[in-house]
Amino acid sequence: MQTIELNKVRKCYDQFVAVNDLSFGIEQGRVFGLLGPNGAGKTSTIRMMIGITVPDSGQINLFGKPFARKALNKIGYLPEERGLYKKMKIIDQLVFLGELRGMTNAASRQKAMDWCKRLEIDAWVEKKVEELSKGMQQKIQFIASLLHDPDFIIMDEPFFGLDPVNATLLKDVMLDLKKQGKTILFSTHRMDQVEKLCDSICLINRGTAVLQGDLKTIKSQYGKNNVQIEYEGNGDFLDKNPLVSAYNNYGNYVEVRLAPGADAQQLLRMVADRSRVNKFELMEPSLEEIFINTVGKTDA
Amino acid sequence: MHNTLIIAKREYLERVRQRSFVIMTFFIPLLVIGSSVLPAMLATRGSNTPKHIVVVAAERGTAEAIRSRIEQHQDEDQAASPAPGVDKKRGLPSTHFTVDVSTDLSDAARTGLTQKVSQKQLDGFLWAAPSDISARKLTFVTRDLSSLVDNAVLGQQVSDALRREALKSKGLKEGDIDAALEPVNVEAQSPLGKNAPDPQKMVVATLTMVLVMYMTVLLYGINVMRSILEEKTSRIMEVMLSTATAKEMMAGKILGVGAVGLTQVGIWAAAAGVFAIYGVASTGAMNVVRDVLNPTLLIYFGVFFLLGYILYSTLCAAIGSMVNSEQEAQQMQFLVMMPMILSIVFIVSILQNPNSGIALFGSFFPFTAPLVMFTRIAVQGQAGELWWQIALSIALMIGTIYAMVWLCGRIYRVGILMYGKKPTLPEILKWIKYA
Repeated sequence: MQTIELNKVRKCYDQFVAVNDLSFGIEQGRVFGLLGPNGAGKTSTIRMMIGITVPDSGQINLFGKPFARKALNKIGYLPEERGLYKKMKIIDQLVFLGELRGMTNAASRQKAMDWCKRLEIDAWVEKKVEELSKGMQQKIQFIASLLHDPDFIIMDEPFFGLDPVNATLLKDVMLDLKKQGKTILFSTHRMDQVEKLCDSICLINRGTAVLQGDLKTIKSQYGKNNVQIEYEGNGDFLDKNPLVSAYNNYGNYVEVRLAPGADAQQLLRMVADRSRVNKFELMEPSLEEIFINTVGKTDA
Repeated sequence: MHNTLIIAKREYLERVRQRSFVIMTFFIPLLVIGSSVLPAMLATRGSNTPKHIVVVAAERGTAEAIRSRIEQHQDEDQAASPAPGVDKKRGLPSTHFTVDVSTDLSDAARTGLTQKVSQKQLDGFLWAAPSDISARKLTFVTRDLSSLVDNAVLGQQVSDALRREALKSKGLKEGDIDAALEPVNVEAQSPLGKNAPDPQKMVVATLTMVLVMYMTVLLYGINVMRSILEEKTSRIMEVMLSTATAKEMMAGKILGVGAVGLTQVGIWAAAAGVFAIYGVASTGAMNVVRDVLNPTLLIYFGVFFLLGYILYSTLCAAIGSMVNSEQEAQQMQFLVMMPMILSIVFIVSILQNPNSGIALFGSFFPFTAPLVMFTRIAVQGQAGELWWQIALSIALMIGTIYAMVWLCGRIYRVGILMYGKKPTLPEILKWIKYA
C-alpha cells in the first residue's frame, strides 16, 4: 500500500507557482527523500500533505484513501520552523501535544517519559523550554512528532542544528522506526545527510519534479564515472584536461567527474606521473552531484 | 471541537497559573477604586490652613454682612458635617476663611491689597464697589485661581449675603428672608417609585461596572493578540496546525482567554459580595449591592461582556496573526480599540441623555454596543420600550460576530504562516479570498 500518493498536485500563491503538478508516491515502510534547494517547494508540498493548505488542483491520497483530517492522527510532523511554548514545562507541553493527537492524558504522559529517557533528557522534563539548549529543544520537538506512534513520519530538515552525537542518536531512532515498518519522509536541501537513509527520492526544483525514483536505480543510471583522488604534490592535471569534465577540490582530496568516454586508468597514470597517489577510487556520484547536474540541466 | 477544548484548557491553565494573573486580579480593582474614589477624596479634603481674605465695600454694613455670611456658613458646616471640612448638604468641601473688612475703595488701597496678595501676606480680597454690585459682577483677587471649589463656595456666600442685604433694604424681616431663600430640593425619581435604586449609587455602580467591562475586554482582547503573536514568533503554529485547524486554534484561544477573564470577573464579583456582606462599612456597601446589582443586571453584564469580548478578541486574533512584532501590534491595536475608548468618552453624556441620538447609535453600532447598551440598561432599567432596542443591539452584535469570525478566521489562517514584513491591505484582502 502507498502511505501517501500525490497526483498532479498544484499550488499557486498569486502569480507564483509553488508546486507545479507534482506527482509521487511512497510505499509503506520506505524512507523517502524530498530533496531540493531552498524555495523549491518542499515545505509547500508537505503543508498540503497534512492539510495546512489545500491544493489548487490535483489529488492527495493518505493511507490509500482521499485526504481526510481524521488520518492526521497517524502522521507525525517535524516542521522546519521549530517551535515550542517557551514558558511551558516540557512534560506539560508534550502531554498537551499528545492530547491534541487524540491520546489520553495518562498515555501521553507515559509515552513522553519513555521517549525522554530514550533520548537522555528525562532529567529536564520539569524545566521550561526557554531554559533548554537548542539541541535539547530539537529533541523535544522530535519527541513531540513521534509521541502518538504515527505510521507516517514527515521530517523537514531533521538534522538541522544538531551536533554529530545527537544526529547519530536521532538517526538510530529513525532506522529503528523504519524497522517497525513506519513510512518516513525526509525533506532537506542537505542531501549528504539523508543519502544513506533514503530508499527512494524525489528531486524538486521550482515546484517541479526533476528526478525521482529508487535511489539505487538512479545512481546506477549515472554509472561509476566519478573518481575520488587523494594525492600529494602537483594538482595542475585537473585543469584543461580532456579526461576531466568537472572537479571539486575539497582540500584533502578531490572529486573528479570523468569526461564522457574517458578511461579512468588513463587518468590514474597521468596523476601518478606527477604526484604521489594515496587513494584512487571509482565511485557512484553523490546525490548532491546528481542534483547539481540535473538542476543545472533544467535551468539551462 | 475536541481540539478546541484541549487548546482552550491549555490556554486557561497556563494563564491562571501565571503570577501576572494573580497580580492583575488584585491590581485592577485597586486601579478602578483608585481612579474613581481617590481623586474625589483628595478634592473634597480642602486645605487645612485657613485663608485670610479682606472684603472691601463702600459701606461697612455690606462688608460685615458678607463676612458674617461666610463665617456663618463655616459654623453650619462644622455643626452639620461628621467629617470636618465637608459640607454635607451640597457635598462640597469648604476651606476656612478668616475675613477682615475695609471700606477704603481708593485706587491706592486696591494697589496695596493686590501687592499684599502677590507677596503672600494675604490670600485674597473681594472688591465690592457699589458700581460692581449693581452690575452683579465682583472681583476676587487671589493667587489660588485653581481652587475652583473654594472660590465657588465663596461666590455663593457673597451672592447670598448681597441678596439678603437687598431684601433687607426693602424692609423684609430676617425670618422671611430665610424662608424665601431656603433652597428647594428636587429629587429625581424613577417611575418604579420608591423601589428604584438611589440614583447616585446607581450611577457609581454603573460606572464601576462599565469600567470593569472596558478594562477586562481590552485587557483580554490584547491578551489574545499577544498570545497569538507569541505563538507565531515561537513558531509553534506549524506543529499545532498539523493536527488542529486554524479555526479550532483561534476558537480555543478565544475561549481559553475568555474563561480566564470570566474567572477574574467572577473573583471580583465574589470578593465584592463578601466585602459587602462582611465588610467594614457594611450597611452602605450592602445597600449598593442590594439596590443596584440585581441579578438581571448581572446577567446583562455577563451577556454584554461576553459579546464584547468575543467581538474584540476575534479582531485581535486577526491582528495578532498579521503582525510580526509587539510594535506593529501596538499600532494596529489602537485602531481596533478606538470605538471602545470612544464609548468611554461618551459614557457621561449617555448617562445624562440615555435616549439621545448618540446613545441610540452607540447602542446599535456593534463595536460600541457592549458599553453603551449596558450603560443604558443599568440606568433606565429593563422596563418599557427598551426591550426591542436590547434585542436589536444583541442581534446586531451576534450578526457582526459571525461575520468577524468568518473574516478574521480567514486572515488568521493565512497570517499565522506568514513571517517577515507587515502585510498591506491589498495583501490582506487577497488572504481573505484564498481557498
